[in-house]
Amino acid sequence: MQLLQHKDQQAFSYLYDNYAPALNAVIYRMVEDQTLSEDILQEAFVKIWNNFNSYDKLKGRLFTWMVNLTRNLTIDTMRSKSYKKQTKISGDENSVNNLQDKNFGIDKFDSMGVVKQLGNLKSDQRQIIDLAYFKGYTQDEISKELDIPLGTVKTKMRTAILELRKNLQYS
Amino acid sequence: MEVKEIISSGILELYATGLASSEEAAQVLQWTSQYPEVAEELAQIETGLAIYVNTHSIQPSPSVKDKVFARINDVEAETAKVVPFKNSKSDGVAKVVSIFSLWKRIAVAAVVLLLGSAALNILLYNKNNKISSALQQSQQLVSSLEDKSQSMESDLQVVQSKYSMPVSLSGLEAAPDAAAKVFWMKNTGDVYVDPSSLPSAPKGKQYELWAIVDGQPVNAGIIITTKKGDRYSIQKMKTFGKVDAFAISMEPENPTPATKPTTVVVMGKM
Repeated sequence: MQLLQHKDQQAFSYLYDNYAPALNAVIYRMVEDQTLSEDILQEAFVKIWNNFNSYDKLKGRLFTWMVNLTRNLTIDTMRSKSYKKQTKISGDENSVNNLQDKNFGIDKFDSMGVVKQLGNLKSDQRQIIDLAYFKGYTQDEISKELDIPLGTVKTKMRTAILELRKNLQYS
Repeated sequence: MEVKEIISSGILELYATGLASSEEAAQVLQWTSQYPEVAEELAQIETGLAIYVNTHSIQPSPSVKDKVFARINDVEAETAKVVPFKNSKSDGVAKVVSIFSLWKRIAVAAVVLLLGSAALNILLYNKNNKISSALQQSQQLVSSLEDKSQSMESDLQVVQSKYSMPVSLSGLEAAPDAAAKVFWMKNTGDVYVDPSSLPSAPKGKQYELWAIVDGQPVNAGIIITTKKGDRYSIQKMKTFGKVDAFAISMEPENPTPATKPTTVVVMGKM
């Protein structure tokens, strides 16, 4: 039992090393505060550890599950009173367009190449992905933010991700 | 919906980016299990997004990992520590249960007592009924015996009295086997008749005693032959100062005594 526990912790350590930077990015894009981001990241991984048995392989990739869990946790934190107070004091500059300039933590060995490839991705295509993935916006919020009909969020998202995939394939 | 339509609709992208509603998500899961192409497309989308997110990776401070693992181990340690707490908690539960079970026991005991008492009541009631009916029977027996003994005593007094003068009445032609006794008290003139040797009066008939005074029959009263189903013994009749003879006649049943004897059954001289 202890061995199994130990093995689990090893696996979890691997999981952390592989996904923490990406999840941290997701959180950071939303809260734009390094300390808060890392607090939430810590919270997220504890939650991932505790709820690991609720992950269902059939429902998609582990990464997707982790991103969704992290995003929801971040949204919950942002909605909490203590966060609202903090943002009032610090001031909120959640300009989606700033995302590009803030990716200071690129560490994957192949990331640099990918980033170069992503240069071809149009900014509005990046924006819709970022709004969903990094900001935790709903379809409704995206349609308002981008001033597009609710029905076209789906198709725009598809176009953006298709373009993203095309770019990644070339790398 | 065809596979191509599903893939081109953009719903898979919504699902992968966490924008899909729960209904849409359920729909996507159904499609991915149904169509391998859809599952493959979703996997591609997820891979793309994963790589995209990775390009934005921000390495967190090393302390975050330490904190996460400290908390995981802490939680486990806490869970381990919680064991006695849980025990004490379950102790509390056990106490509550025991209180409940105490009440249950009391309730069960009360019900048992109630049922037992009810059963006992019924038993005692029945017993009491039996006893009281037995008592009634014995009282009846006693009173009947008392009656009997009283009548016997009075009979005996009549017979044993020193003033008692017995007169034997013997059967005449109408009833040769019949017999009776009359006791005449010399001092008081009281007349007693003992009809125990008389045959039972036929239905619609009754015996009447006659005293023959100066050659004339005088009615001395109706003789009761049965009382409460028993043959009635010595009974007091009318009083006569001077009698020559006694006779008993059979008369039609009538509450008022006859003026003249119809059929004389027995007769005896003084």
